[in-house]
Amino acid sequence: MAIKFEQVSFSYPSFDGKNFSALKNINLEISEKGEFITLIGETGSGKSTLVQHMNALIRPTTGSVTIYGIKIEKNTNKNKRIKLNPLRQKVGLVFQFPEYQLFEETVQKDIIFGPKNFGIKEEIAIERAKEIIKLVGLSEDYLSRSPFNLSGGEKKRVSIAGILAMEPDILVLDEPTSGLDPKGRDALLELFTSIHKELDKTIIVITHDMNTVYKYASRALVMYDGELVFDGVPNSLFSDKHITEWNLDLPDIIQITKQLEEKLDIKFDSKPHNVDELFNLVKGAL
Amino acid sequence: MKNIIVGQYIPGNSFLYKMDPRSKIIALGLLMISAFLFEDISHIVYMLVGVLLILKIGGIPIMRIARGLRPIMILLLFTFSFQVVFIKTGDVIFDTELTLSSVNLILMILIILTWYFTRRYIKSRFLYLIIVIVGILTMLSLFSPGFKISSSDFVIYEDGLLGASFIMVRLIIIVTLSTILTLTTRPTDLNLGLERILKPLKLVRINSEEIALIISIALRYIPTLLDEANKIMLAQASRGVDFSEGKLKDKVMQIISLLVPMFIISFKRSDDLANAMEARSFIPGNPRTRIHILTWHYRDTLVMIFCVVVLASTIFVRVYL
Repeated sequence: MAIKFEQVSFSYPSFDGKNFSALKNINLEISEKGEFITLIGETGSGKSTLVQHMNALIRPTTGSVTIYGIKIEKNTNKNKRIKLNPLRQKVGLVFQFPEYQLFEETVQKDIIFGPKNFGIKEEIAIERAKEIIKLVGLSEDYLSRSPFNLSGGEKKRVSIAGILAMEPDILVLDEPTSGLDPKGRDALLELFTSIHKELDKTIIVITHDMNTVYKYASRALVMYDGELVFDGVPNSLFSDKHITEWNLDLPDIIQITKQLEEKLDIKFDSKPHNVDELFNLVKGAL
Repeated sequence: MKNIIVGQYIPGNSFLYKMDPRSKIIALGLLMISAFLFEDISHIVYMLVGVLLILKIGGIPIMRIARGLRPIMILLLFTFSFQVVFIKTGDVIFDTELTLSSVNLILMILIILTWYFTRRYIKSRFLYLIIVIVGILTMLSLFSPGFKISSSDFVIYEDGLLGASFIMVRLIIIVTLSTILTLTTRPTDLNLGLERILKPLKLVRINSEEIALIISIALRYIPTLLDEANKIMLAQASRGVDFSEGKLKDKVMQIISLLVPMFIISFKRSDDLANAMEARSFIPGNPRTRIHILTWHYRDTLVMIFCVVVLASTIFVRVYL
């Protein structure tokens, strides 16, 4: 197990002395290879706080997170012998807003900033940057541009490239597709899938888009009010009767199938994942 | 980082809290003027007692004030020692000869070195520094074997000591008074009070409303920007920036990686805020109504009368005695 949460709770201190608890008793295991996890839940349910635990950016108030054999507890950082930095290379975390991390004069410098911090030689990092900028769907000319003159979607891609260049073992993305057009969103998700399939890396994506969950994920985690209320395959999530309680909706294709089932008063044998599968089901039923 | 509270305001319920910010600011001004007008050490000590009484009646813990005095402690000691050493009038209280000899020069260097290397392990560093300095001075005056390098007279005069204490008490009074104001008034109320007091400046074409608006926006955005800074630090930390360690060259890079996004986000925020204000048709200088309206009570009048009496008697003492 690469990342293991054991009874993790986390509370933010607030002005009036009362603490706001963002995570309540989370138990979770994430393996090093081969998982495509989507983390879903309504706004303020603790998704971002959960992923920030995954590379030791914040420490649990109670309980422990074990990342690649290093146990992170409340007081871990006070003990300077434990180096947390290497963990951040292994678990790459892309933040939701690219504005928080872009600061260099050129895109290239910004992409190689991460790798250089982890001791990778500049020439090698530049080579990586040239490959990765194409991977995220931008041309090589972008490398010499300023990151501040890019559009929102382009900034997002550059910030993802900055983390990809660190070659993390596990890639965690906090709403990577927000603010992107459908084409760009699909391209990025295809990119994550290909990283997941070809390099057999674990990808964790926070999203609000149920279609993404249904189409790409091998495992879905649902957060509700600081608690992890569901951990399983997307198929069983969308047949779970609690789904409306958690303020989630169904993927389009499942909604269409349900409507068809009601209108035509039939029951399909399986759940379709795309339009073609649905077409075949309907054809078979007629 | 979320614990930082802007200003020093602590909630309370005494008469100081119920007062109008305008009367508090004016009272502070009047009392400060009187603190500067006193010339005699006994008068200023009376005033200090008066200030302590205000603290007692206002229910403000004295430790809270002492904590507020800590940052200016260095300044206080600095002025105190200069006054003591350089005023050379009045009766001699204390006279000794400081001799720098070969032996105690070496000892002195040794003491300073041990202080330099051990200071990080001592909890109250400031006290430690004072003990070391006093220790060195005592050694110079009492223990000086070996080859004599130089010697000088160290004399303390009565006027020096009195003048030094006088200035120290005056500074303490001023700081305590202003701390009382900030402790018992919310930054927003303070701002509103200032705006009202500065309103007559319109005659010289200074718009107090604009100044107050700038201050209140700045206050409002401090927590937001702190939050933002925290997020940027986390984002950069996940790209391998280790804010706790590194060489000087790395440190510069770390700061830049924090400051550049900070600036860009702040500019963007201010742009958004300006647009949002315009969208709700805010026009600078136009007359506007207020959600919080300041009310002047009888206690404000009483305090005003008290402060004016204090000031008047100070002027009387200064002129006729």
